[in-house]
Amino acid sequence: MANKQVELKTNELLLRLTSISGPSGYEDEVLKEIEQIMSPFVDECFRTPMGSLVCVKKGEGPKIGFFAHADQIAFVVTKIYEDGFLRLSGVGGWDPKTVISQKVWVHTKNGKLRGVVGFMPPHLQTTEESKKVPDYEHIFVDVTMNPNWKDISIGDLVTLDVEGFEKNGTIFAPALDNRASCVAIIKAAELLSKIKTDAEVYYVFSTQEEIGGPGARSGAYISEIEYGIVIDVTHGDEDVPGYPKIKMGEGPAVAVGPVTNRKFVEHINKLAGRYNIKTQIEPIAGRSGTDTDDVQLTRIGVKTALISIPLKYMHNPYEKIIVKDVEDTAKLLAFSAAHLPEIEYEELQSTGSVKEGE
Amino acid sequence: MLKYLKELTEISGPSGNEDAVREYIKEKISGKVDEIFIDRMGNLIALKKGKGNGKKILLDAHMDEVGFMVTNINEDGTLSFTPVGGVDTRVIIGKKVKIGKDVVGVIGYKAIHLQKDGYMNTPKYSELKIDIGAKSKAEAEKQVKIGDYVSFITSYEEQGDFIIAKALDDRCGCSVLMDLIDENIERENDIYFAFTVQEETGLRGPAIIAEQLKADIAIAVETTTSGDDPELEKQLWSTHLGDGPAITFMHSGYVVYQTIFEKLVETAKQLNIPFQYKMRTVGGTNARRYALTGIPAGVVSVPARYIHSPVSVINRKDYEHTVSLLKEFLKKIEF
Repeated sequence: MANKQVELKTNELLLRLTSISGPSGYEDEVLKEIEQIMSPFVDECFRTPMGSLVCVKKGEGPKIGFFAHADQIAFVVTKIYEDGFLRLSGVGGWDPKTVISQKVWVHTKNGKLRGVVGFMPPHLQTTEESKKVPDYEHIFVDVTMNPNWKDISIGDLVTLDVEGFEKNGTIFAPALDNRASCVAIIKAAELLSKIKTDAEVYYVFSTQEEIGGPGARSGAYISEIEYGIVIDVTHGDEDVPGYPKIKMGEGPAVAVGPVTNRKFVEHINKLAGRYNIKTQIEPIAGRSGTDTDDVQLTRIGVKTALISIPLKYMHNPYEKIIVKDVEDTAKLLAFSAAHLPEIEYEELQSTGSVKEGE
Repeated sequence: MLKYLKELTEISGPSGNEDAVREYIKEKISGKVDEIFIDRMGNLIALKKGKGNGKKILLDAHMDEVGFMVTNINEDGTLSFTPVGGVDTRVIIGKKVKIGKDVVGVIGYKAIHLQKDGYMNTPKYSELKIDIGAKSKAEAEKQVKIGDYVSFITSYEEQGDFIIAKALDDRCGCSVLMDLIDENIERENDIYFAFTVQEETGLRGPAIIAEQLKADIAIAVETTTSGDDPELEKQLWSTHLGDGPAITFMHSGYVVYQTIFEKLVETAKQLNIPFQYKMRTVGGTNARRYALTGIPAGVVSVPARYIHSPVSVINRKDYEHTVSLLKEFLKKIEF
């Protein structure tokens, strides 16, 4: 483990990881990049049969896993017209009105080709047609500009050609859901490579979350962890009636509810207080819709927590995140893992197996 | 040919804010024309004199593009905005835009997870905001002000025979005019090259031109909607990319002066230049404004897909044939 290298800049990592496309089921390129960044901070890296990347920092103490899905929403070609137009279907949930008039890349077996997403020209629409957002049966991709568009086949993936950028500590970029969490884990690994701790830490970058797939669960299974923190994104700066507004820039949101372990969450909140990390509370009364739900039920059960980074415009071409929220999340993860032995100690104390002064 | 189109499309110039486009064109054509002046509304007019026995032909291309204007700076630091010219809200969400000279922002939209019934209704402008990453009104006010113009940011790209860019409507026309200036055609006629303002907000720029120059005829050089996509049956297409310049016989509010229409068709046929008739009569051009102010006018257009959006597409051959057609047409002296 080399600790001497230059500290990774969070904003640069965010832009770097969001510049690589990794649709659900096709995360390999992103995972390779992550593995390369992670390798100085860990003892080993391997892939699960489902393709998830697991990086391990060995230790003698309790085992903890950090989970972030590395996949992103995309499209797949479902129909090809003879004159060079395609129809698409979403891999994950896209709002069609964010997709029209975007440039896209069609990923063929012979490389990527240009596409432009269109719909019937507004000039030529009837009044009724102009009142509605077209669905995917009425949105098309124009690929006529590629002399070799016939290389495209049904099932080829399509991604938006959108490039992220930073403004004053705010990042606008595609796929911040969930590359922001991947970055938080990378930064946590960097911190943990400098902190002395007995905890054994599994950093899991999982596949196929956006379509409810098996990536995270396989990571949890293989690592046989006792504790697991899933890092995902949550809607920031949006009013949801009856719920606290999760604010952008006010720190990660720590979930409470049945998919999380109460004691473990208390431990995390205590450390947030100790290290002056601002956090917010996100009540989740049932299933969370994140990988937490699966990780909790792996093998003999995992004591889970869900930490979410506030993100605005989720599943838009440009999602928005505050860099400091990602850094605070990384600190919270690192300290939660580093101090894990404390919870073990407290647990033993409360069950009477440790006497004061021992 | 096509030396200027990349730079032309990448300049921001919504209607009423054409200054940067005008400066660019003026700089490039200076020294190549006999006279050059800017009128009271900002139209840039250049004269290239003929040998003296011909007519005065005016070629028009509008410099403005559709865009937006900031109408309010909100408490949360976001910007409310309204379109300048006709822009459908369904083509702008999730796009990067430029406010004023160099402030970049994004037109964001509430996550699909949080949208209620009716999320498939076309959004209204009042529901949309530009996010410039400012956390408060005060912070936003340091970067932008009410009334600032907003434009799309799309880099110009060539793929095969096609060109993909913003603002092809009508920088494409401006580029055709600039290429024709460079061609230095031998002819009798005087040619006025009019790079006009405010077409997109109601054909306004050319309204004051007839009083200033007594042109015999005018030709609007434009882009026109094609509609040649799977959403329309072939018989409903307006034009088809790759079939050559579109010659218009009629559009919204104007039947093209018959002699001009026929001369354009005749020129194309004589020289075997591919051309097509515009097969629908929707949309309008500055030709109507010239006709209203007493100058018989015609329209030649480069067919384009997805105009009035951040990304439009034309065929390079259509462009080249448009230049060839006009080059020959300018030599004609009988109308």
